[in-house]
Amino acid sequence: MAQVSLRDRNLTQTRDVAPARQKNVGLLGVSLFIASESMFFLGLFLAWFFMRNTSDAWPPAGVTPPPIAPAIFNTAVALLSAFAVGLADRAIARDDRRGLVGGTVVAGALGVIFMAVQAIEFTELATLAQSSAYGSAFTFLLLFHVLRVFVGVILMAVLLVRALIGHFSSKRRLLVQATAMYWYFITGVWLVVFAVLYLIG
Amino acid sequence: MASISIPIPLRERAKSGVLGWLATVDHKKIGIMYMVMSFAFFIAAGLMALLIRLQLAAPNLQVVDPNTYNQLFTMHGSAMIFLFTIPMLVGGFGNYFVPLMIGARDVAFPRLNAFSFWITLGAGLVMLIGFVFGARSDAAWTAYVPYSTKAYSPTVGMDIWLIGIILLGIGSTLGAVNFLVTVYSMRAPGMTAWRIPMFVWAMATTAVMVLLATPVLTAALIMLVADRNFNTQFFVANRVQLWQHMFWFYSHPAVYIMILPAMGIISEIIPVFSRKPLFGLRAVVISTVIIGLLGFTTWVHHMFVSGVDPAIERFFMFTTMVIAVPTGVKVFNWLATLWGGSLNFKTPLLMCLGFLATFVIGGISGVMQGSIPIDQYVHNSYFVVAHFHYVLFGGSVFGIFAALYYWGPKITGRMFDEKLGKLHFWLMFIGFNITFFPMHFLGLQGMPRRIATYDPGRGWELGNLIATIGAFILAFSVLIFIINAIKLRHGERATDDPWEGNTLEWSTSSPPPEYNFLEIPTVTSDRPLFDERMRTPHM
Repeated sequence: MAQVSLRDRNLTQTRDVAPARQKNVGLLGVSLFIASESMFFLGLFLAWFFMRNTSDAWPPAGVTPPPIAPAIFNTAVALLSAFAVGLADRAIARDDRRGLVGGTVVAGALGVIFMAVQAIEFTELATLAQSSAYGSAFTFLLLFHVLRVFVGVILMAVLLVRALIGHFSSKRRLLVQATAMYWYFITGVWLVVFAVLYLIG
Repeated sequence: MASISIPIPLRERAKSGVLGWLATVDHKKIGIMYMVMSFAFFIAAGLMALLIRLQLAAPNLQVVDPNTYNQLFTMHGSAMIFLFTIPMLVGGFGNYFVPLMIGARDVAFPRLNAFSFWITLGAGLVMLIGFVFGARSDAAWTAYVPYSTKAYSPTVGMDIWLIGIILLGIGSTLGAVNFLVTVYSMRAPGMTAWRIPMFVWAMATTAVMVLLATPVLTAALIMLVADRNFNTQFFVANRVQLWQHMFWFYSHPAVYIMILPAMGIISEIIPVFSRKPLFGLRAVVISTVIIGLLGFTTWVHHMFVSGVDPAIERFFMFTTMVIAVPTGVKVFNWLATLWGGSLNFKTPLLMCLGFLATFVIGGISGVMQGSIPIDQYVHNSYFVVAHFHYVLFGGSVFGIFAALYYWGPKITGRMFDEKLGKLHFWLMFIGFNITFFPMHFLGLQGMPRRIATYDPGRGWELGNLIATIGAFILAFSVLIFIINAIKLRHGERATDDPWEGNTLEWSTSSPPPEYNFLEIPTVTSDRPLFDERMRTPHM
């Protein structure tokens, strides 16, 4: 019996063009990555609520929760930075490179301010983390969120350099979109962190 | 050929030699590296199992001291699960065959794919080198607190183990992103959802589970690392349940991560060797997806003796029982595929039949333990050991060997020796049952798992001796496979399609060229190669 393979045959339609669904491969990948990141935070949040529900007092007696003022300030910073990223993304969509550079610089700078405020917080959190499960979970949620902000700031730096070189245009802006998505995600996580740690407690 | 399409190698020609392997981003080479790595860990973890069985062959033996025994079964379980079964099925077969079966030239993110492999290998080496040089975890693969806390596991071995598993998690999460994007966006023209091969469906479902379950385990592992090294207070006092919840939230889905690809494999092989289409393809696809979803809702059945609220326990007992339904659907579909088929008893089919026979036993003992009162009786006994070896060895490992015999000719371009293959199968099947069937009785007679030895006079002597003999038969059968694999160099040359397969990987040469297909095929049914044969006159 002869071995048949598709490539030997005329009937096979010759089509090597990427189907339409291949266009957004990068963004789909980022979305899935964000899904897994969400599950990481979900794990930490579930740990928080599990420990909260199984403790007599939350926060336990003798442990004072960190002040809310810096967190409120950082919430404003985070929202503003997300707004700036949105502007940058929209700017490059209409080929406005200066808008992209401006938005990226503002978002990156706000990210650095956010990290600086958290760094000051951590000087006190170090002892809180070892005091109780409350402190440990509190510190973990802030720490692993700010690590994402750090990654976001690096992405912003890469974006800025490449924007200055002129890598992006309305047709070529996958990295801008991907960074914006990740940045929105980080901002969203912050809002939940803020609500759970400072408002619900 | 009327319409010529010039082959489009997407990248430069592959480099050959060592650099060609180290620097490759080709999904096939990465797949082969995963397979070789996993098989090496399989041998290492198998040798540990032999030591465990030697220790338990008779009462009060001291082949190794109790501490070493703990380290051995810890690493045996960890390596078999994290370094053999998952990377072999997902990394190895998934990488090699998902792009080929969907008619793609590579995965969506080839460099990310290479990164996943190297981080997996790195993690495996961290764990293995730690083990060889004495930095060994001894808290079992479940790493339950408080055993795994600083107080009870003070050595650095535990930390090395934890870091290894964290790294593995990163590798497999990124791999899952890659698979999902590949399956979603890289399919050949015409490959609609119901034309996606069953193995690819299984891999996609698996990838969703890896993607969503692994990060929760990663969070728990990092918390434990911090507890041990930075004095945080997560797993202290009454919070052993916290670890169990987070651990099993990943590790129960992990069971399906290990079995779904194997189910996908036999769903590919059984139709080919029965010369029939898969019975109820859509039912098999839907039940695969349902198993994937339900797999997230059953984890507390590992905690029926942990003091969880009885109302919650009952809910999880219900979901555990329910998951037997889609699993049963699949078993009946495989049987219906075999029924009335023109069966071709080559080694791949034998391995599938071995899968069916043993997996059903493991599945039934699983449903038994899903019942709270039975579980509270057999929990942490050898009954559990018997059960999960029946599903994971009897299921996953038989599936892995089925895949190696089925796809080996495609990967290597050579045919396996059938006689040795059949000998391998029979020795493995018999050895497997001799090893693990007596463990059901041992468990019901009260033998706890993880004990380093036992006193005579409890009625456990005979069962343990038989199990140890079986383990050596099993090991011998693997040796025969290795001989068969070595003999492959001089094996008969494999044609493009030695089994008359159904799926696209058989349309290209054996082994496939770097770019997989000269031209991307157009798919018009769920069995594109079968259609080809029907349209082409036989000679």
